[in-house]
Amino acid sequence: MNEQPSFLKSVVKKLIAGAIVGGVLFGAAIALGFPPVFRYMFVAYAMLGTAVFILLDAPSLPALSGVKALAVLLAFYLVLSGVYIGGASLWPQYDPEDEKGKIAKLLEAKRRASEQGKAEELLVRAKALSEKADSIMQRLQTLGGPTEAAAPGAGGAKAGGAAPASGDLVALGKDQWELQECYNCHKLYGQGGKKRGPEMDNIGNLMKAEEMKEKILDPRSWMAEGFEKEYEKKKMPDKYKELMEDKDVDALVAFLATLKNPAVNTPKPIKKK
Amino acid sequence: MKTWQRSLLVLFGLLAVFGATAYAQVPSAPTVEFPYTGNRLAVWIVAQLHILFAAFILGAPIFVVISEWLGYRKQDPRYDRLAKEVIKVTVILYSMTALTGGLFIFVLLATYPQFTTWLINHFFLVFAVIYPLLFIGETIVLYLYFYTWDSWKGDKKARHIALGVLLNLIGTITLFVIDGPTSFMNTPAKAEGASIVEFIQAATLWDKIFNYSWMPLNLHRLVGNVTFGGFITGLIAAYMYMGAKTDSERSYYDWMGFVGNLIGVGALLFLPFMGYLLSYELCDYDASICPYMMADQLSMFFEMQGAMVGLIFLASNYYIWLSMKRIEGVERVRISVLTVLVMIALPFVMTYTWTVFPVPDPKSLAVLVPLVLAPAVLGKIVPPLGRLTVSSRVCIKVAFLMVVIGNAIWMTPHGFVATGAKLVEELELPGDWSFLALMPAKNSAAFTLVFVTVVNYILYNRAIKQGTIVWGKIDFVSQFVLIFLAFSAIWTMGLMGAVRSLVRKYFHTYNLYPDFTAESFTPTLSYSAWWITGITLVFYIVVSFAIILTLRVSESKAHVPEGSPVPAGAK
Repeated sequence: MNEQPSFLKSVVKKLIAGAIVGGVLFGAAIALGFPPVFRYMFVAYAMLGTAVFILLDAPSLPALSGVKALAVLLAFYLVLSGVYIGGASLWPQYDPEDEKGKIAKLLEAKRRASEQGKAEELLVRAKALSEKADSIMQRLQTLGGPTEAAAPGAGGAKAGGAAPASGDLVALGKDQWELQECYNCHKLYGQGGKKRGPEMDNIGNLMKAEEMKEKILDPRSWMAEGFEKEYEKKKMPDKYKELMEDKDVDALVAFLATLKNPAVNTPKPIKKK
Repeated sequence: MKTWQRSLLVLFGLLAVFGATAYAQVPSAPTVEFPYTGNRLAVWIVAQLHILFAAFILGAPIFVVISEWLGYRKQDPRYDRLAKEVIKVTVILYSMTALTGGLFIFVLLATYPQFTTWLINHFFLVFAVIYPLLFIGETIVLYLYFYTWDSWKGDKKARHIALGVLLNLIGTITLFVIDGPTSFMNTPAKAEGASIVEFIQAATLWDKIFNYSWMPLNLHRLVGNVTFGGFITGLIAAYMYMGAKTDSERSYYDWMGFVGNLIGVGALLFLPFMGYLLSYELCDYDASICPYMMADQLSMFFEMQGAMVGLIFLASNYYIWLSMKRIEGVERVRISVLTVLVMIALPFVMTYTWTVFPVPDPKSLAVLVPLVLAPAVLGKIVPPLGRLTVSSRVCIKVAFLMVVIGNAIWMTPHGFVATGAKLVEELELPGDWSFLALMPAKNSAAFTLVFVTVVNYILYNRAIKQGTIVWGKIDFVSQFVLIFLAFSAIWTMGLMGAVRSLVRKYFHTYNLYPDFTAESFTPTLSYSAWWITGITLVFYIVVSFAIILTLRVSESKAHVPEGSPVPAGAK
């Protein structure tokens, strides 16, 4: 019977201790320059610790049986489910829309090459032709004669047939930099990297285009100075010859060749093969 | 469920395997669209359910046979009863494994016919011959093991135990065989400098099976299955304890819950390292998988994993705390103050050491091994130090504090963003503290959780040697702890299963077979959590039903009474 008041006392004591620890951690986090979200995280840990210590000295739970036990059990499952879903939802959520467009671009060539892709492409073309024919027929009916029937062909040749200008190629190469997520390992313009691979800002001054291409298609062919330890040799994935079309590699190389900032210490590449 | 009904279900599973293999040979099978869920989610639900059932039926027999052997060796009927009760539940869940396995293949063929055909063709011998043969073998041995339990007693017990060993052998080989195609989807075999497509075309079946992540996945699943089986045993015990009518029953199920938790935690201690080995191999296979998991799309999944692991360690240590409270004489148990000091120093010293000597540099062992052994060795070399002790209560409370601190380190992210591309200064760890988000700190945190848990179990062991356990008198809240552990273990398994599948990114088989469907993106953690919870609940309902059906309904049979309290020496 005396257990309850003493437990309440102990809860109050622990809450006060938890608040003090939380306050100290919060203050220390400010002093050490942690952003607000980390300060709150530290306070949350202080609260978790408090909850744990309260639980340790909590009085015994009386035995439950029958319907009461079943009801408590079901409620327990509901609470657990709610806490886990709620907890997971509280973390920052990745937006799938960010990668949907990327994936479509990355898989475009492979889709075209697949049987399914070929069939789909034929269907799309047939549909487009059918729509075009309908539109021409409509125009003929309204104007009483042929007008711009040849124009789309010329436009089409421009869009699909001509080689991109060098400016376009560099832009396409930058696109490839993003699509292949090179920024995950290589720092560029002071962003990304995490030191997994060398900074790339001055690579245009250190490698020729064909050497860069060789490195991308066969990552062990060149190694950057300071990245030659055995475990580092395999860091650059040997997969781009499969994942990228030749024109994509050329575009990426064109982009990399423009990176000529001597102020950045891009390590010197060494020929290994 | 009668034997013929179980056999029918198993037969259904087998037919599904054969049917699917044959169906896969039919060219250009049409694709169906699952209503409401979509195809990916339909496969996710069925696959995850199948894996949960399979994990239990593969993990439980490992400790069942050990328990049976212990019962035989110690002549303690409780071990034999535990083994038999768990195997009863296993037999029911075996049927569910076959049923969901068959369903899994059908759903796969209906939703991803081209890919499924492609995969079956690559592993034709596995799917058409080896796996079905193992499945038949396992079925026969499992039923033989179960139905000979009562008849192969006394002199024949050793024969029965040998049958259990054979069952485990077949089960483990089955796991290893099916892990071949599973791991192949994550890390298809490749050779340096060669085109992966060309290499796979020329590769032998063994080349495809023995890929980068095959053995790490085998080990991870093997240990994970035992952990899972242990916690489900705890769940069985908790249900039975809650429904027990007599002190003798409560005493037995209290003991069973303790053993289940011990098995679960014992295996759990190895799990972080097995998981680390698997992710290490994945990253070694393709370094771009690492940032995808740890810094980008899946980074918050790992935050959630950290939270779950922390909760599981807190709960398992809380169970030990509650277990110690019912030991008479526990207040006399003390431990060296050096142990407590090492517990406190461990995460900080380890983080520093592993930062200076990164894994696998063996120099780190020169610091860490003496540190971990210091409490045992220093006390003997300098006796006055050995005489400085603290009570078990103080030690466990410090251990809890270190679990919270260790978990805080584990969960400190580089930034509070779901992807590195959106990282801004206000959400990023300050530069001086960025080491907290790196692997040395994370490994230290994992090691701290393991170390303090081991210390707590050593303390418990001392307590039962010096005191008397009053079985059946444990705080009732402990049963909820056991249920919590099982639920959380299943949930975590679902979460990590999702991660293992998602690291394939927009491929069915990484870098080899793209997923052209509109669903090949990374889902949000919140969306995944809803479905993981749903799957966990469905699994729980089936398991609860199996427990009630097999144990509650048939519990009227008389059991050998267990005394209460039990003198410590008799344990």
